[in-house]
Amino acid sequence: MPTIAIDAMGGDHAPGDIVRGVARASLETDIECLLVGDERRIQEILETVPYNPEHISIVDCRDAIGMDEDPHEAVKNRRDASLLVAARAVAEGRADAMISAGNTGACVLACARHFRLLKGVRRAALAGVYPRHTEYTGQDPLALLLDVGATIRCESEELVQFALMGSAYARRISKVPSPRVALLNMGVEGTKGGETLVAAYRRLRRMPALNFVGNVEGNDLARGRADVIVCEGLLGSVVLKLVEGIADVFTDVVSAAARRRLSWRIGLALLARGIERLRRLTDYTQYGGAPILGFENLFIKCHGRSNARAVANAVKVAAKAVRDRVPAEIAEAVAALR
Amino acid sequence: MSPLRVHGAPRPALAPVICRWDLDKTYLRSDFDSLRQLLRTAFERAEDKVDVPGVAALIKAIKKAAERHGRAALVYFISASPPQIGKAIREKLALDGIPYDGIVFKDQLAQLKRGKLRNLREHVGFKLVELLRGRLDAPAEARELLFGDDWESDPLIYSLYADVLARRLGADRLLPILRRIGVDARLIDQVVALAAQVAGPDAVERIFINLERRTPTATFRLFGPRVVPTFNYFQTAVVLGADGHLDVEDIAAVGRTLVERSGYTARRLENSLGDLVRRAGVSLRAAERMGAALHAAGVLPAGAPARSRWQGMRDAIRRLRRRRKAPRPPAPPPTVAALDYEAILDRLRPPGREPSIEGRPA
Repeated sequence: MPTIAIDAMGGDHAPGDIVRGVARASLETDIECLLVGDERRIQEILETVPYNPEHISIVDCRDAIGMDEDPHEAVKNRRDASLLVAARAVAEGRADAMISAGNTGACVLACARHFRLLKGVRRAALAGVYPRHTEYTGQDPLALLLDVGATIRCESEELVQFALMGSAYARRISKVPSPRVALLNMGVEGTKGGETLVAAYRRLRRMPALNFVGNVEGNDLARGRADVIVCEGLLGSVVLKLVEGIADVFTDVVSAAARRRLSWRIGLALLARGIERLRRLTDYTQYGGAPILGFENLFIKCHGRSNARAVANAVKVAAKAVRDRVPAEIAEAVAALR
Repeated sequence: MSPLRVHGAPRPALAPVICRWDLDKTYLRSDFDSLRQLLRTAFERAEDKVDVPGVAALIKAIKKAAERHGRAALVYFISASPPQIGKAIREKLALDGIPYDGIVFKDQLAQLKRGKLRNLREHVGFKLVELLRGRLDAPAEARELLFGDDWESDPLIYSLYADVLARRLGADRLLPILRRIGVDARLIDQVVALAAQVAGPDAVERIFINLERRTPTATFRLFGPRVVPTFNYFQTAVVLGADGHLDVEDIAAVGRTLVERSGYTARRLENSLGDLVRRAGVSLRAAERMGAALHAAGVLPAGAPARSRWQGMRDAIRRLRRRRKAPRPPAPPPTVAALDYEAILDRLRPPGREPSIEGRPA
């Protein structure tokens, strides 16, 4: 069974929900969990919930990087922060992968500091998953978007590599034999979007090993046209936050409507099952987290607001990615490109 | 010298040790979640019954270690199951090669005949009576180790028994507790009468609770340090080792059985040891002593690629201990004051819900 290092102190609800999530994973799976953080607090939380100690070990460290801290400064100066201790545990071979719900920038920098890039990979990519409409039964209701912030500006070569990495990840984790890959652009034509995107489009078109379906526009994101969508970090980050923002606004609007009129409240009550399905579809806790791809070691970044369920699922995703040898799959895909 | 020849602190007197075991969920992995499972359990053959991993090895180890130390170890089972399943149970014990000195079942048919349907589910009175009766027959200086699980009222029953034995719980305090629990009046009379006869030495050293249901360990804090919740019988063996009832070779035997027969790994055992130390189930010094010998014997993992995991765990636990403002009392067996049973019952049987809860940990 793989060993997953967990940054117990990272996240809005850390360490409570992180530890409870690990406790949950320890009961549901045989995955070995290496909790990194304040041992006294971790143990106090563990003792209040059911857990299986046979699958949990703890590395004590008291320092933690805050969600609002400057990532560069924090990673440079806080060597003993839980995030960096966990990353070192992976780099030294004491764990096979790690997860954190902490400061995203610090997570990416921690990877860059402690993990080696796969041979041939120029830049790492932070992936994000988001809910989308499914076109056929059995289609994964979540699509992979990368990069969402690790590499702000990219060259065409890097976008091509992101496509290969995303495709390899989706092949292994979503079990899609030939994931459909698309380039996020301002038009479907291959001549749009400027020099970098045009060059990337041309290169991707010429790759028979990749199921490249061309460009997609913003309004295609929520449809099931592509399983993996590639873009620069800046654009990806904006898109992901927009999706989250819309989901939040939707919830607020529905709540406000329910408060305002009785007839709307009744109408919403009638739609309750449908709304619940929608809520489940957009529930980030079900997928746990998304990977930082391109390194020899795996890092699953959880949502900052992750609850226990999300953390437990992230542990499972990380273990699955280790078992399915995702980094090796990516390395092979990138090697074939060269 | 063999790495396993690291013995626990020798006990000054060689008083016999009595081990009283609950049967279901402590020795056997019985499923009672539904009526169907209950019926299946009742008609199960000995060879179909499944024991909790490591339990047979632990009982054998206790007997063997006692023999080595020149003391007697007596093993008794008390079960709230009806005597009709006794044959299958005895056959199962024989199949597992478990040496035992007595077994008691609850005569459920007698309860039915008396029309006492509530007594079918209420076991506190029955078990207390049987424990006290058993004590009457035991040598006065005998020490006791009690083994139960987190499904019903074992921590409560065993704690009451221990406090009655130690004269910490007189009839004036015992009566209202038993009444609140809903123990049958006839059994209450028997308990009080027996308590008056047996009260004397503080004989109960430890109460081990097998966390079959994974009940949060904080639930057991009200029972004091005498009650040790354990997640597997390796942890139980380690505590017994720290208390001097087992030697490291016995603990290793339990660990090896878990690895060879129940799919455990050395790492799972190591994590169990770490958990026990963090919960103050054993002192750090005892854990270090036993851990080193178990590492040398290959029961715990040899070491991590970059740095010894054991070393890391030990350092971490040391730091943790230093930081604890008020460290929880470590082993060896603690002497405890009478428990606050009112608080325990308030937690386990909130007022107004007494009849329905049957003393299960919350």
